[in-house]
Amino acid sequence: MNRTEEETGQGGRGEPAPETAEASGHDALPEEQRRILRRAIRLEWISLACTAVAVTLEIAMAGQSQAMKAAWIEDALALLPPLAFLVAVRRIRRRPHAEFPYGHHRSIGVAHLVASVALLAMGTFLLIDSAITLIKVERPPVGLTIVAGHAIWSGWLMIAVLILALTPPLILGRMKKKLTEPLHDKVLYADADMNTADWSSSTASIVGVLGIGIGLWWFDSAAAILISFSILHDGGKNLRGALRGLTDGRARTYDDAEPHPLIGQIEERARDEDWVGDAVARVRDEGHVFHVEMFVVPGDGRAVTGAQCEDLRAALRDVDWKIHDVVIAPVAEIPSTQAFRG
Amino acid sequence: MSDRPIRRLPRGGRARGRSSGTGIPRRALPALLATGLLAGAATGCGAIPRDAQGPLARASGGTLRVGLTENPPWTEVAADGGVSGSEVDLVTGYAESIDAKIAWTIGSEGELARAMRDGKLDVVIGGLTRDTPYSTEIAPTRPYTEATADDGSTLKIAMGVRPGENALMVSLERYLAEQEGEL
Repeated sequence: MNRTEEETGQGGRGEPAPETAEASGHDALPEEQRRILRRAIRLEWISLACTAVAVTLEIAMAGQSQAMKAAWIEDALALLPPLAFLVAVRRIRRRPHAEFPYGHHRSIGVAHLVASVALLAMGTFLLIDSAITLIKVERPPVGLTIVAGHAIWSGWLMIAVLILALTPPLILGRMKKKLTEPLHDKVLYADADMNTADWSSSTASIVGVLGIGIGLWWFDSAAAILISFSILHDGGKNLRGALRGLTDGRARTYDDAEPHPLIGQIEERARDEDWVGDAVARVRDEGHVFHVEMFVVPGDGRAVTGAQCEDLRAALRDVDWKIHDVVIAPVAEIPSTQAFRG
Repeated sequence: MSDRPIRRLPRGGRARGRSSGTGIPRRALPALLATGLLAGAATGCGAIPRDAQGPLARASGGTLRVGLTENPPWTEVAADGGVSGSEVDLVTGYAESIDAKIAWTIGSEGELARAMRDGKLDVVIGGLTRDTPYSTEIAPTRPYTEATADDGSTLKIAMGVRPGENALMVSLERYLAEQEGEL
């Protein structure tokens, strides 16, 4: 990992926001983040293309086979997160105006919701489909295929196809996950989870086919059920994160693991000002960037001027590029029902 | 969650999300299992695929239970109950190849499907096609030949095996492919 990426990581060691005060969407991101965003967009197009090819092949091969039908429905769900991401990054290009005074960053939150629901749907589908197979005691027949005059058990061919199918999501998912933290992009995070779901369910199918090979008919479904729990867990985690973000929960890290450390840092920065007696921030995640309301109590007997507030706004934005839309609210005391100390 | 203090990361540190160290990540388990299975399969757990309930092993040197539904020219039943037809010849040849005697059951396709579900049959013949409506009870083999139906459409002719008995299935499919000159 190069040095710049480490520096832009979590913990607020990032670049300050770009100069232009009206910046929105892609303009709100510093050069490094824009470069990462371009890379993410490229990865998502590749994802979309790979999945589209896989779904088309599976629909063509499906015929009567219930298993192949399940496979393409499952893969079609994997199209949703990249689509949501690409639509959202187009929308956040728009500047704020009278109808959308906060800009369009929240599109990222909506895309995160779409991606997490797709993930949950995939897990649910896999769980129910496999459970039904188990309950109905459907023993999968896997016979012989003849390739160029050689007889080969179809199971080996299935495994070969599955290995081919799981390679793109395995590689793409890892590449995406590396970008989620410096870009603070939760859609990308959910999509990387979707890639994980994709390749791990293919791995489960390989285990299942091998199980069938040694005469354990239930192995395929059992492996799929195990994997479906892990997918449901990821889907639930992402859904909770997406809902929390959209309902103005306190800003959290890119993986929703903990409150974002920048909140504490900007409060400290505000308290550093001579004229500030106390400061508590209310911060929500707009998608990539944060919306900050900083409640400020002036020090003893101090008067507050507009210029001081303006300077503080600029100073806070200099802490990190994610500190984007800042409102300074001078108050006599910190309103206990609106602002909470970390 | 929310009352947890904010954790500052050391410079250059990374949050969770990466499984470093020695613990086996949960998602690596299937891969490990697969490797284990492969290793197990390779080191003499017997040939792959194996049957779910072992009908091939039971029939070899013993009795192969064959259900037959009348469908000339594939299968015919004489007045005295004797059976003949191209599939009767094929399945008799197959039984000889695994040193098995045949126990015949004659009935409609639906009756044979029920018998198959109840575990009373190993193989069903009678000019079955790949798209048999009883595919839940009777797993069709790969088509060993083609025929033309009355309406001019092509029929892919197969035999039926109990689903999941993949050793029997592969063994029968291999025999049929050899007889038809595909192998």
